[in-house]
Amino acid sequence: MIKVNTRDHPWQEGMTVRGVIEEKKFTFRHLVVRVNGNFIPEDQYEHHVINDGDNVMVIHLIAGG
Amino acid sequence: MRKVLRSYDYKLTRIEKGYNNRSLYINVGDLRIEEKEVTQFMKDKFIGGKGFDLWYLWHAVTPQTRWDSPENEIVMSSGPIGGITQYPGTGKTLLAAISTLTDIPIDSNVGGYFGPLLKFSGWDALEIQGKSENDLVIVIDGNKGHISIEDAGDLPYDTHLLTEALTEEYAENEDDKRSVSVVCTGSAAEHTLVGMLNFSFYDTFRKTVRVKQAGRGGLGTIFRNKHIRALVVKFKGVKGNLNNPADVATINRIGVKMHKQIHDLDDKQNGMRKIGTANTVMIMNQYDLLPTRNFQTGGDPEAYRIAPEVFVNEFLTQGIHDGCWYGCTISCSKAADNFKLRTGPYAGQCVTVDGPEYENAAGLGANLGCFDPRHVLEANFYCDTYGLDIISTATMMAFVMECYERGQITREDMGGLDLRFGNSDAALELLHQMARGEGFGLIVGQGTRKMKKIFVERFGADEQLLNDIGMENKGLEYSEYMPKESLAQQGGFALTNKGPQHDEAWLIFMDMVNNQIPTFEDKAYALYYYPMFRTWFGLMGLCKLPWNDIVPADNGRTETPAKVPEHVQNYVDIYNAVTGQKIDKEELIIQSERVYNFQRVFNIRMGKGLREHDSSPYRALGPVTREEYLSREERYDNQLREQQGIDPTTMSLEEKLAATRAYREKQFKLLTDAVYKRRGWTNNGVPTPEHLKEIGMDLPMLLEVVEPHL
Amino acid sequence: MKVLHCKQEICIGCGECEKACSKAYFRVEDRNKSAIRIINNDNTFRAIKCSQCGECINMCTAHAIYRDRNGVVRINKKLCVGCLGCVGFCSELSMFYADDLTEPFKCIACGICTKVCPVNALEILESKAV
Repeated sequence: MIKVNTRDHPWQEGMTVRGVIEEKKFTFRHLVVRVNGNFIPEDQYEHHVINDGDNVMVIHLIAGG
Repeated sequence: MRKVLRSYDYKLTRIEKGYNNRSLYINVGDLRIEEKEVTQFMKDKFIGGKGFDLWYLWHAVTPQTRWDSPENEIVMSSGPIGGITQYPGTGKTLLAAISTLTDIPIDSNVGGYFGPLLKFSGWDALEIQGKSENDLVIVIDGNKGHISIEDAGDLPYDTHLLTEALTEEYAENEDDKRSVSVVCTGSAAEHTLVGMLNFSFYDTFRKTVRVKQAGRGGLGTIFRNKHIRALVVKFKGVKGNLNNPADVATINRIGVKMHKQIHDLDDKQNGMRKIGTANTVMIMNQYDLLPTRNFQTGGDPEAYRIAPEVFVNEFLTQGIHDGCWYGCTISCSKAADNFKLRTGPYAGQCVTVDGPEYENAAGLGANLGCFDPRHVLEANFYCDTYGLDIISTATMMAFVMECYERGQITREDMGGLDLRFGNSDAALELLHQMARGEGFGLIVGQGTRKMKKIFVERFGADEQLLNDIGMENKGLEYSEYMPKESLAQQGGFALTNKGPQHDEAWLIFMDMVNNQIPTFEDKAYALYYYPMFRTWFGLMGLCKLPWNDIVPADNGRTETPAKVPEHVQNYVDIYNAVTGQKIDKEELIIQSERVYNFQRVFNIRMGKGLREHDSSPYRALGPVTREEYLSREERYDNQLREQQGIDPTTMSLEEKLAATRAYREKQFKLLTDAVYKRRGWTNNGVPTPEHLKEIGMDLPMLLEVVEPHL
Repeated sequence: MKVLHCKQEICIGCGECEKACSKAYFRVEDRNKSAIRIINNDNTFRAIKCSQCGECINMCTAHAIYRDRNGVVRINKKLCVGCLGCVGFCSELSMFYADDLTEPFKCIACGICTKVCPVNALEILESKAV
């Protein structure tokens, strides 16, 4: 089990940041991702592997009204 | 030639570090025109903009004043940073008056040229009080130092005609049209309580007059009630140094940095220059947050038809500058040119439609179940020219449609209008009725709070249901965002000063999606910080969009990306550079706290401003109806398990609705407790004398009001 | 249209062009008031000056930028409000400003600098309009 934005999310072997974003249907394109506190740049989303127990934050930088 | 009723000449002086140090008072009843000193006390405690507006308004009214009392004032002001050209978003005008809908002050902001031109004409604020018998035009010429109050003669009523006529009349030639800004409303402002004020500017690329809106709270209705047809300001000679700032080099440096950031990054971020604020529509739909059919659900399969791309590809003119004041490279004021109207008094004419902004597409579109982009544009145009607040109008009409679909009112009650969700024609006809002051339009135009009463008393509607689904708080309609699943946004709407307008706090993603404010204390902090931060824009004459609708490339790596720290520092530096002061980020918040708490006490003085007035219709907190529960059944069932340890499989739908409701209402109570505490207020929402002292607002006039409530 | 061109390989970085430009338009020898800037990159020299691309024309918030009859991009100082948006937006970083000036300034292909360059690296070319 991993945490995505402090909520439980099922983990799978080989899961990447991109995979998590797709499973959560985070379609907004202006995201800031940190895994266990470390900032992950956008060009790493496909490659960065998520391990079991990781703490993933996917912050949407949306300004709103 | 218009008949001049009163003439006044004044001395032209320099602005010193952002201030003229004087304000203008006009009484349209006895035609008094007076100059008032802006004191150091005012600048220390109230700064400018909304602060000055509320200060003057307090002194103009008594607790018995209502929106149509002669002593009610419309006060308007730029702010000390207003009118600089180097940084985007410095053209706002701030207004305040006792609102038609809430009986407490409404504060409203509007982009455009008026605020700076008024300021450069010599005035830090303008008070308009009194009532005229006949329609007037007020003209302020800031190059000649001349004010005249004139008989309106046979000028048109609707904005697109009136602004065109007056711009033409007061500009010396084509190049001079950019020097003229007209404030006016339209025919609906005479027959409804939701009339707004349009502020014009001349678009030099399109060669047409365009308008921005001071939308909320009935300012246009008050304007027409005073028999003012229009207010015109004229000033030629805008340059970046007219504020005579203390340190122009800093302003230039930060301005260029910001322009470059927008040039490099806007396309990759929100596309403000291409689409404007409507870029949010599909995002909200994808995250189940687009208010649909009176806030019942968060989106619709048809929403793609009013997606931003549709407007960009088919309607919005691209590739020309679309800012509403000089120097705004965010340039978000999109417009559809040569749009042919289908209905109403101007049917068949091709017009420029200002918008759609997000609120228009979400409100007039999704919230009415209308997914035709042409409908959105046509409704947008008519609301603008008729002078209707689009947010209130959309939310009111959504309420009416749901009442009809649930059998609470009949077609006969509505004078034959078939106001089902999705019926664009009926929705447009209702707008025309509101403008003509006819039929069902007269009832709808009174606003949601009064409509609830009318529907119950006259048409036998169910009071409990209407209280649940009528999306108003303090009498003002909710703006077009779904607070239902975000406790923080429920507070962001209901625990406000003026009513549920999102310009205090927009926390939906931070709360629901990012889950960055999980505890009550986190939410309470957010509901303290963000309203205070956003208030500051209103003191300065600034638009908030450049704060976070564009962010620096490295913003994501900062500790608090939601605050956009580099931009906050920009604002601190620019304020200091204009005024010569030396504030920091903490003092910025305290400047806002002073005015925010002043407004809260002002609300209490006017007979509201307490906890009971910060309550929320249940539609804003959770699912009212069976269909709403079923539309999100899995989510709500899981919440029963996780949040309350209840097993939903043994419960009927009614029991699940009731259990969810009890929990949600309790959560809102707990949130309110936490927020009041964080803001330094009693549990009844009253600013304490200790807190007022802490922020330097322990003024006798305020202590006198709060004392009896402690 | 007329455009200032620099044969960068032969530029010796003497700065005479900068002096001549700032002197002609602002009566002072100050490279911060020159519309041509020579950048020294490890003894290779590069000239920053306007290519007359015209991107700034439609983004000008005061509609103050236009092309004259030589195709040269010009600023109408009466209409300019000094917002410096063009400075921030110029992809070539060749729109300049100074704190004691109310309007920004740029190369207008006048040719003054071409006459003082000791190695004839500068010339005014006739280029097809963009």
